[in-house]
Amino acid sequence: MARRAALVSAPAPAPAPRRRIGVVLVDALPVVRAGLRLLIEDRPDLEVLAEVGDGEGALDQLARTRRSRVVVLVGLGLSGERDAYWVIRTVRERFPSHAILAMGANAEPAAISRALFLGADGFVDKNLDPVEFLQALRAAARGEMVLAAPPSVALGAVARTLDRRRELEVRLTEREREVLEVAAEGLTARQIADRLGVRERTVTTHLARIYGKLGVGNRLSAIRVAARSGLVSVGATE
Amino acid sequence: MVAGHPVIRGIVRLACEGAGLTVGVEAAGLAEAEAALASADAPFTVCVLDLELPDGDGLRLLGRLGEEGRTVPTLVLSERRDGRTVLEVLRRGAAGYLSKPDGLRRVGWGVRRILAGGAAVEPDLERAAIEELGRTARQAREGARLQGRITRRERDVLALMSEGLTMQQIGRRLQISPRTVETHVRKLYRKLGVRTRVQAVSRAAGLGLLELR
Repeated sequence: MARRAALVSAPAPAPAPRRRIGVVLVDALPVVRAGLRLLIEDRPDLEVLAEVGDGEGALDQLARTRRSRVVVLVGLGLSGERDAYWVIRTVRERFPSHAILAMGANAEPAAISRALFLGADGFVDKNLDPVEFLQALRAAARGEMVLAAPPSVALGAVARTLDRRRELEVRLTEREREVLEVAAEGLTARQIADRLGVRERTVTTHLARIYGKLGVGNRLSAIRVAARSGLVSVGATE
Repeated sequence: MVAGHPVIRGIVRLACEGAGLTVGVEAAGLAEAEAALASADAPFTVCVLDLELPDGDGLRLLGRLGEEGRTVPTLVLSERRDGRTVLEVLRRGAAGYLSKPDGLRRVGWGVRRILAGGAAVEPDLERAAIEELGRTARQAREGARLQGRITRRERDVLALMSEGLTMQQIGRRLQISPRTVETHVRKLYRKLGVRTRVQAVSRAAGLGLLELR
């Protein structure tokens, strides 16, 4: 009853204030997070929902958020087992409607390509002018693909890396990719075996098959192919 | 400089002279350009390439400019404004992309940018290329996800389907019964989210699961 009355007598609803874009900041460096928070909180249409310095924490924060328009900013410098790429992949799986924006400074095309492949909706360079940075953030929230700041030539390089990654996905089995990823950390066959919970013999067999498929003679060359394809990141990305 | 139309060649020549460059080679088509590349004794500083050439697609030349470790910074001119083409041009190593006819005013600017080691892509064309890159990344991800779910046998069936073989023929080739082939096909359709053979093949090719010859 009360409900019906309300329906009848309610005045025409005022235009709903546009929901603000919620931003979750994930970066290893506290100073970067603080700077971004200052920059973002100054804007009426943006709001920092959380800022975290580790992958696990980022996922915890996101699980608590009940917002629809969310942009997750992920600094590629986040390292460790739950690194930036893990965050990107996991957020993409668990929160398919959130926008994910990777950010880095002087990132290699392979790092950008890897972020995009794993689910990022774009990349922004930390060297960007603050106003353009915010524009990139808003564009990502609108569902646009963003690639801000790296020179346009990098666009071609990123595309080429993606092509190579695709080829690698077709040629190698999931297990072989796993072995190669761990091998790229510089581990011995024995250590790889321990990490993946298989026998050393199995790892060497996988490695031999990987070399064959990639047409290389040794582990270093295999790692180089993997790095060029953005399957692994060798060295710092920031 | 490679361009079919004399007016465009004239514009490019003026722009290059404005940037302090002399045009060493003028080619009016693919064949002329190939010949010039083969016989050139001095390396080129920069290349301005019109994609719409009388004897073929300038993209082919771009692929060649990228090969053999010889990367001449190239400014591409084209009527095509779609993201797919722009991204393909950049993928093949071009440093700049201007549209015809609007972008022709900016050839001088483009050449100077490229000479300075920068990039010269019109903003809205760059936008289109970035969107296309996003699509490529999504497709690659989707393909990789399916990759892990499609069995080796299903992949064999898919490859033979793409060659246009009937269920019977596929069965004979793989030495399995037509019934088994049908089961594989049904599972493939479900995994790919399609209803027909043509859809299956085109989707699989789009996702990079299948190489079309």
